[in-house]
Amino acid sequence: MFSRNHRSRVTVARGSALEMEFKRGRFRLSLLSDPPEDTELQRKLDHEIRMREGACKLLAACSQREQALEATKSLLVCNSRILNYMGELQRRKEAQVLKKTGRRPSDSGPPTERSPCRGQICISDLRIPLMWKDTEYFKNKGDLHRWAVFLLLQIGEHIQDTEMILVDWTLTDISFQNNVLFAEAGPDFELRLELYGACVEEEGALAGAPKRLATKLSSSLGRSSGRRVRASLETAGGSGSSPILLPTPAVGGPRYHLLAHTTLTLAAVQDGFRTHDLTLATPEESPAWLPLYGSMCCRLVAQPLCMTQPTASGTLRVQQAGEPRDWVQVHGVLKGTNLFCYRQPEDTDTGDEPLFTIAINKETQVRAGELDQAASWPFTLSISNRYGEEEVTHTLQAESRGALQSWMEALWQLFFDMSQWKQCCDEIMKIETPAPRKPPQVLAKQGSLYHEMAIEPLDDIAAVTDILAQREGARLETPPPWLAVFTDQPALPGPCSPASVAPAPARIHSLPWGRPRTFSLDAVPSDHSPGASRLVAPLPLQRSPRSRGLCSKGPPHTWLQSPV
Amino acid sequence: MSYVPGQPVTAVVQRVEIHKLRQGENLILGFSIGGGIDQDPSQNPFSEDKTDKGIYVTRVSEGGPAEIAGLQIGDKIMQVNGWDMTMVTHDQARKRLTKRSEEVVRLLVTRQSLQKAVQQSMLS
Repeated sequence: MFSRNHRSRVTVARGSALEMEFKRGRFRLSLLSDPPEDTELQRKLDHEIRMREGACKLLAACSQREQALEATKSLLVCNSRILNYMGELQRRKEAQVLKKTGRRPSDSGPPTERSPCRGQICISDLRIPLMWKDTEYFKNKGDLHRWAVFLLLQIGEHIQDTEMILVDWTLTDISFQNNVLFAEAGPDFELRLELYGACVEEEGALAGAPKRLATKLSSSLGRSSGRRVRASLETAGGSGSSPILLPTPAVGGPRYHLLAHTTLTLAAVQDGFRTHDLTLATPEESPAWLPLYGSMCCRLVAQPLCMTQPTASGTLRVQQAGEPRDWVQVHGVLKGTNLFCYRQPEDTDTGDEPLFTIAINKETQVRAGELDQAASWPFTLSISNRYGEEEVTHTLQAESRGALQSWMEALWQLFFDMSQWKQCCDEIMKIETPAPRKPPQVLAKQGSLYHEMAIEPLDDIAAVTDILAQREGARLETPPPWLAVFTDQPALPGPCSPASVAPAPARIHSLPWGRPRTFSLDAVPSDHSPGASRLVAPLPLQRSPRSRGLCSKGPPHTWLQSPV
Repeated sequence: MSYVPGQPVTAVVQRVEIHKLRQGENLILGFSIGGGIDQDPSQNPFSEDKTDKGIYVTRVSEGGPAEIAGLQIGDKIMQVNGWDMTMVTHDQARKRLTKRSEEVVRLLVTRQSLQKAVQQSMLS
């Protein structure tokens, strides 16, 4: 008798019986023995739970906003993965229970159903254009309003994330440099993309609070959430799993909002860039709202295993087309859309060219045993291709009936795969191995164009400095003639005196710590490395900028004199 | 008069007592100072050691209280009313000299001629 109980629910409500079972660590016990793929899944689930605990602790210990954003992102990814694995485990257990009770599961077909081969899916060069309005430039009064965004990608039970990117109005689109690779996906895959974003600056009630109060609030927890955090930290060392669905505990910690999502399937796969529509999810009032243009460009490629791995190989005797008596013994390898015929089995490894290659594609016709000499030449199959007007037929003889069967089987499987994977089987799409993830580039907080001005050492400035140095050197013996200015002026201001009183202009040195540079409006925004190629037209020489009230903290350039 | 950082500074000093002169609302001493730890010492025309960031007298107004008291141009001021002047910023130095509550300032100053005079008297 099959009775429905809580176990068939995928989502775990807080305080439910299932959650209590988790807490007691009962989740791992099962009445049925776990098949190997379940233990694998269980292992992954345990791993994610541990990662989640680590991320919680890291988040609690974070002081800087950017660290907190990274930690929250890891937490979110771990949470999604945990939910996913748990759901998958539930489904499998359900299937097992159903099988055990003898009832036929409603969604499985006849056992002889052919299943298509798996493949690798790779998505790369993701780019989401943004559409900034001019109000964005002006409403923040030059303060840079920044967002942290990342993508969550999911196929089936595999969830992957991209790096976190900081976005502000200097970027025209969000570009992710990652290649995200999913192995073991079927042709009926659904790749779900979710774009999450969070404000980098403090949002909500803490925005206006004085700094000390704000830090105090953000580092302390409310009573109930504090109790929960303590409980989770305590049970973390215990045997069972901590409350899995603990919400992100940090008060004032960054909150990611789902900005947009979309789902891609086999139809979107192409060896090139394509634009897809995004479904926007946050309303404009939400703090994390970004002006997304509404579409996304990416390169989604798929490599079915049948194209990259040899699906069958063995000894064959091939009759050349048009020469009935001439049989050549070859080692045939069925890979992708070709049947390669090598002279020797070892040739496949050495990389020698095959003797010849028979193309096998959607239009190829394969017939078994249809030869006039069927009696004398058993175990044959013929492969016909049409090249324009001409039809070329190769006849192959297998070693035995069993071998013939396996060759036919391999060919049927290949045809089935080609019909399932469609355009992916026309040609092997190139997948680049994902480069090792670069650490997230910390975007140095830049002021607006009108705040940061840098005076770069130019040739003419250096020349002027030299001239000044020479002149000063000559005047060291006699007191400077402008001392007379001080004679009858009792109450002059202090060191930051106006330029006219101190005629020796400030030495314009290149400052040792490398001041930020001005970015022109058409500068390449994604190039954040300091010391990048000089994009700025050199600024004109400015005399004594220091005395305009900008008190510098560098090496002194003046030797002021004050009357007392 | 050069010093090694971290080592005690030894100098021959002369006491100068200046009585401030009231000029309207202000009390003036009648000289100008230059230097300070926030200033560029290489531009100091009076110092023997061009890394010396001390406070120097750059001008003494004629007939003013400083000249009467015996302050000379090029003197390095070591102390003002007990406050050290060898490690101060320019503004701190000016403030210590121009306190409105003090009518008299007692300076300890040093100059190269003093140093030489003492050396000569020691040799002879």
